[in-house]
Amino acid sequence: MASEQPTSPAPEPGSGTTRATGAANLLELNGIEAGYGRAALVLRGLTVKVPPRTIVCLVGPNGAGKSTVLRVASGMLTPRAGQVLVDGVDVTRQGPQERLASGLAHVLQGHSVFPEMTVEENIRLGAYSVKDRALIAERTAFVKDLFPVVGERWSSLAGLLSGGQQKQVEFARSLMVDPKVVLLDEPSMGLDPKTTAAVFEQIVTMRDAGTAVLLVEQNARRALETADIGCVLDLGRLHITGPAADLLADPELSALYLGGRPHERT
Amino acid sequence: MRNASETLELERALTGARWLTAARVIALLALAAVLVVFPQTTKVGYLLSTGVVILNYAVTATGWNFMGGFTGYISLGHAAYFGLGAYGTGILVVKAGVSPFLALALAALIVAVIAVPIGIAALRVRGASFVIVTIAFVLILLLMFQSMGSITGGSGGLSLPRPFPDLIRTDHHRTFYYIYLGLLAVMLLAWWAIDRSRFGMGLKAVREDEDKARSLGVPTTGAKLVAFILSAFFTGLGGGLYALWFGDLDPVFQFSIMMGAYMVLMSLLGGVRSLFGPLLGALVVGIAIEFFKAQYGDTQFHLVATGLLLAVVVLFMPEGVIPAVKGLFARFGPQASSIREISAADLAAERDAEEASKP
Repeated sequence: MASEQPTSPAPEPGSGTTRATGAANLLELNGIEAGYGRAALVLRGLTVKVPPRTIVCLVGPNGAGKSTVLRVASGMLTPRAGQVLVDGVDVTRQGPQERLASGLAHVLQGHSVFPEMTVEENIRLGAYSVKDRALIAERTAFVKDLFPVVGERWSSLAGLLSGGQQKQVEFARSLMVDPKVVLLDEPSMGLDPKTTAAVFEQIVTMRDAGTAVLLVEQNARRALETADIGCVLDLGRLHITGPAADLLADPELSALYLGGRPHERT
Repeated sequence: MRNASETLELERALTGARWLTAARVIALLALAAVLVVFPQTTKVGYLLSTGVVILNYAVTATGWNFMGGFTGYISLGHAAYFGLGAYGTGILVVKAGVSPFLALALAALIVAVIAVPIGIAALRVRGASFVIVTIAFVLILLLMFQSMGSITGGSGGLSLPRPFPDLIRTDHHRTFYYIYLGLLAVMLLAWWAIDRSRFGMGLKAVREDEDKARSLGVPTTGAKLVAFILSAFFTGLGGGLYALWFGDLDPVFQFSIMMGAYMVLMSLLGGVRSLFGPLLGALVVGIAIEFFKAQYGDTQFHLVATGLLLAVVVLFMPEGVIPAVKGLFARFGPQASSIREISAADLAAERDAEEASKP
C-alpha cells in the first residue's frame, strides 16, 4: 500500500488543500532530548521530519520512546534540548493549546471521545478554538463526508458507538481545526483485526484529504504497510528511516523489529 | 452500506423521537399551567407560602445547577451566595435606605463580584477538595455574620420592611409567588441557552474529562469561573428575593450547610443534566419536606421521612427522575433491534461473498 514517495519530497505546486507555506516539512523535530523527571533521557537527540501529504510511522520496541515523541510534538512534554518546528515556525516553547492553533492535532491513545456527549457535540468540541461559524460548517460537512458514520450517528451519544466508530469520531474531531499535521497515538489499540484494517484505511483517507500524519503504532507491520515513510526508533535515537516499503522488505529489520517472518500478513 | 432494514429502523427511530418530543412538550405545558394557575386556586395563606417556599427551592437548585450540572463540580456551600444575596438586600434596604428591588439587583451583582476571587481560589482544586472549600466558605460567613452585629443584626436577626405594605398577607404571598416564577423562567431560559451554546459544550466537556477538554483547546479555567459566577449570581438573586418576601434573616438559617445540601439533593434527584431536573427535584423534595413537616409537627421525624424518600430515589433512579422517566418512555416506545453494527446475517453474507470470490 506504500506509495513511491521519496523521503522528503518538495511540496508540489498547488497541491490540493495542503496549506504548506513553503517549508519542506510540515513538522520537524530536530535533535530532541527529552525525559520524565530526573530519570534518564528517553529521547537522545532524535530527529523526525514529516513532509506534506505523508504518513510517517514510528516503530520500535517497547520503551523506545515512540509515545514520548508524540508528547513532545504536541507540547504535552517540553524537551530539554532540540527544536519543534510546525511548517517552519518554531513552536518549542508553546503549550498544547497554542500548538493546536498552529496546526497540530493530537488523537490520544485509547478511547478519547466524550462518551456522555453526542457525536455532534464531540465534533463541535474539536472546533472549539475556531470562531468562524462558516468555517465550522464547512469543516463539519468535510468530516461528515470523509467519515460517513459521523453523519449517520450525529445525535447518538458517542459512548454508544463501537470502538471503530469512536475512532472515526476522534479522527473527524481532530480534523475540525483543519490541522497541518495529525498525531495519532496507537489508533488500533483495543480494536479487532477487521476494524483495525478499516482504521488504517481511514488514515490513508486523511492523508489523501491533505493532512500529514505522524503515526505511532504497536502493530508495526500493519502500520508500515499503510505509511509512506517509516522511522525505526531504538533507545531514543533514530535507528533507520526510509520509505516504508523498503523497511518492510529488509529481512534484518523484519527479524529485529517487526516480529520476524517477512512478507507474511499478521 | 445502508440496506433496507436499516433504513426502516432509522425511520422507526425518527418516529419514536417525534413521539417523545410531543410527550415532552405536553408534559412541559401541563407543568407550566399548574405552576401558573396554582395561586389562583386557593386563598389559604399557608398553601400560598408553601408554594413560595417550593419555588424558592426550585430557584436555588436551578441556580446551583449552572455550576453543578454543567461542570460536575459539586458545591455543598451554595448557601453562601443565598445568604450573601439575602443579607446584601437586607442591609441595603435597612441600613442604606435603597428601594427594595434595586437593593435586590445590587446585592446580586455584589454576590457575583465576591464570587470572582472565591471561584479563582476554589476552582484550583477538584473533587472532594472543592467540596470542602465550598463548605468552609459557608461556615466562615456564618461566623462573620453572627459576630458583626452592628451591621447584620447578629444572632438577633435582621428584619426588613415589606416591599408592598398595602397588600394583605395572601396577596403578598401570591405576588412573590409570581416574581419567583418569573425569575425561575429567566433562569431556565439562560440555562437552556448555555446548554445549546459553544460555551456550554465546553463546560460539559469539563464535566466529562477536564484534561481532555483542555487538550482540545477549551479554556477550562475561565469557563469554570464564568459558570461559577453565574451560579452564584442567580443563587444570590434567590436569596435577595427570599429576604424581601420573608422579611426576617438569621445567619443560622441563611448560611446553613443544610440548605446547600438541599440544592444538591434536589438537583441530583431530578437529574443534573436536564434543564428541568432541579425544578422537578425541588417539587418532589420540597413538597415532601413541607408535607412531612405538617404531618409530624415539631418532631424531627420529617427528616427521617425525607431521608427515606431520597434513599428510594437513589436506589431506583440513580441518574435522577427525568432520565428514569425518559427511559421508561423509551422502553414502551419503538426499539432498535440490535446495537450491533452488523447482524449475524450480514456477516454470513459477507463470508459467502468472500468464499465465492476465491478461485
